[in-house]
Amino acid sequence: MSSGSIRFRLTVWYTGVLAGILVLFAVAVYAGVNHFLRRNLHESVVKDAQEVGSIVLENANERDEGAIGREVGEHFSPESNDRAIRVLGQDGSQIYLSGPAEVFPARNGPSLRDQPSDMTYRPAGGQEVLIRTQAVQAESGKKYFIQVAASLAPTNQTLRNLLGVLALALLLATAIAVTGGFFLIRSSLKPLDNMAVRAQKITSRSLHERMPISNTGDELQQLSISLNRMIERLEEAFHHISRFSADASHELRTPLTIMRGELEAAVQNSKIDPEARDALGTVLEETVRLSKIVDQLLAMSRLDAGEAFLEMSRFDFSELVRTTVEYMRLLADEKKLALKVEAAEPVYVEGDPSRLQQVVVNLLDNAIKYTPEGGSVSVTVRAETDKAVLTVTDTGIGISEEGHAHIFERFYRTDKARSRQMGGTGLGLSIVKSIGAAHGGRVGVQSAEGRGSTFRFEIPRLADKGPRSATSDGQTFASAKGFETS
Amino acid sequence: MRLLLIEDEQKVVDFVQRGLTAERFAVDVARDGVAGLELAQSYDYDLVVLDLLLPGMDGTEVLRKIRRGNPQIPVLILTARDGVQDKVTHFEAGADDYLTKPFAFAELLVRIKALLRRGATRQETVLRIADLELDRLSQQVRRGGKRIELTSKEYSLLEYLMANAGRVLSRTMIIEHVWDQSFDGATNIVDVYVRHLRDKVDEGREENLIRTVRGVGYVISDERQ
Repeated sequence: MSSGSIRFRLTVWYTGVLAGILVLFAVAVYAGVNHFLRRNLHESVVKDAQEVGSIVLENANERDEGAIGREVGEHFSPESNDRAIRVLGQDGSQIYLSGPAEVFPARNGPSLRDQPSDMTYRPAGGQEVLIRTQAVQAESGKKYFIQVAASLAPTNQTLRNLLGVLALALLLATAIAVTGGFFLIRSSLKPLDNMAVRAQKITSRSLHERMPISNTGDELQQLSISLNRMIERLEEAFHHISRFSADASHELRTPLTIMRGELEAAVQNSKIDPEARDALGTVLEETVRLSKIVDQLLAMSRLDAGEAFLEMSRFDFSELVRTTVEYMRLLADEKKLALKVEAAEPVYVEGDPSRLQQVVVNLLDNAIKYTPEGGSVSVTVRAETDKAVLTVTDTGIGISEEGHAHIFERFYRTDKARSRQMGGTGLGLSIVKSIGAAHGGRVGVQSAEGRGSTFRFEIPRLADKGPRSATSDGQTFASAKGFETS
Repeated sequence: MRLLLIEDEQKVVDFVQRGLTAERFAVDVARDGVAGLELAQSYDYDLVVLDLLLPGMDGTEVLRKIRRGNPQIPVLILTARDGVQDKVTHFEAGADDYLTKPFAFAELLVRIKALLRRGATRQETVLRIADLELDRLSQQVRRGGKRIELTSKEYSLLEYLMANAGRVLSRTMIIEHVWDQSFDGATNIVDVYVRHLRDKVDEGREENLIRTVRGVGYVISDERQ
């Protein structure tokens, strides 16, 4: 599960929120119980102090202060109540003490006031205690300070236990919620995964397929219906394009066929005046060129619409380039150009060999055409990480700065008069671009006017030759598709 | 030889019929699918040239019905559709050859003759035009008894021209036959090779055998005949 997935984000978000709420709840419980326990203890200590106070007052008239202590011990038996009690005289002298002396702060006489007060005190090495101090005044005007101490140990122990229980419950509840929520999200997003898988499989060739519609009546059903409508519109658009190509082919080709047929017969007819025959020859040449332009335009529109490839196979691109260059060597020889090839290493690609050969032919043909006599043209094929790269470098006339942006556009000509005279259709480089794009690659150019150009054509390469599939067998191709081509 | 041409475009019919008749074929014409199928089922033709986009009955349907009745007869498809898928579909339906419009008439003729020759694999070992001689076994070429050295491409080109002597071959046909279809389009490679071949074959001779037919292509022939 990647950190960007909806499942991950949703789970993190609600886990955070839930944990936050649970922590707040636990803090509230803890604070409440703490407050409640301390108040209870405090109330009982206050009550004890009052009781001790009244006993002290009853016996205050006795001469013997020891009697006060006895009375308190008798009535109250502090040990069994888990209390420590100290009674001090006005001067701070100790009249009575039960329990260990260290429970109370050693010197507190001067700080004792008339108003009742509470303090918590931690004696050295002992447990925390809550001490209530209260003053009583006998009729004789004599003042006594009464201190009742209660241990906070049981309270603290209870709170510690509560904390442990709360922490455990919090962890458990969070874990259960996370797991439950994760599976809930997963099951409700499952249709989305199915849709993604199906959408991956739908290409321009299988637009008749549709998404599975989940009958859940929720947003996902809406989404699948909307996607299906979109695919339907795409399918219609594609049909329109193919329909148009087919119609255009027929409407353009039929008249061209007739013109060509009639003209061919005419130029070979010896009864026609030679001058007129020459003129007809010119018309015929232009007709043939027009036919080529129509062919190439239609071929390109099919390439761009992604409906052109059936003859895919795996092969060594270097080998294809080497043979093609050799076929064309004579063209370079004619112009006394030095033609060099560097394509010794095998570079395997998956593609349509005849289309890729056309790329080599078009690039090389351009290089030869636009390089003056005595220049040189070099062709290389290299493997660069996951790409097969073909470069064609010439020492020709080059391309102007402004030409760079347009050179791959249809019918763009850098030097109109000159290139038309050379007999091209003005489509060579845009065909190269379309073929590149259809193979998942691209073409680029570097050039300096007057010094030459370098065309760079790259398509994805295969890591190795892989299983043989030199045929257009659809199944082999489909199964080979996932093989490191993208 | 009797051919059936099923094509609805009158002007295409005109020049194809004229051309084929000049080549001494007997040509029957049907202007729609239904009529074409009737003719094909009623007479014994040597070959059918079939357009695909037809009124009445689609060419593909006509092809299937002809094949059902006669699995042997060669059928050449003539069409404006040139998608790979179209070709595959029709070869599967039983077409023997496939020619895309617009086509050179010379190419149609060469393909028809090739289809009619098929089966009879008689291939001459030695081709001769005037005093030019090409031996297919030893792959040697002589003119006036004198050996001419050719590269393998030049040899293939000359063999193709001589096998179709007297017939004009278009650049496209030469490219498809000697090179590969992907060379079609931009290059003038055919012209360069023909020029080289001509230098070797016709250089310094009184009679030039290889001629250029403007706008169409090249032909090799003996002018005296």
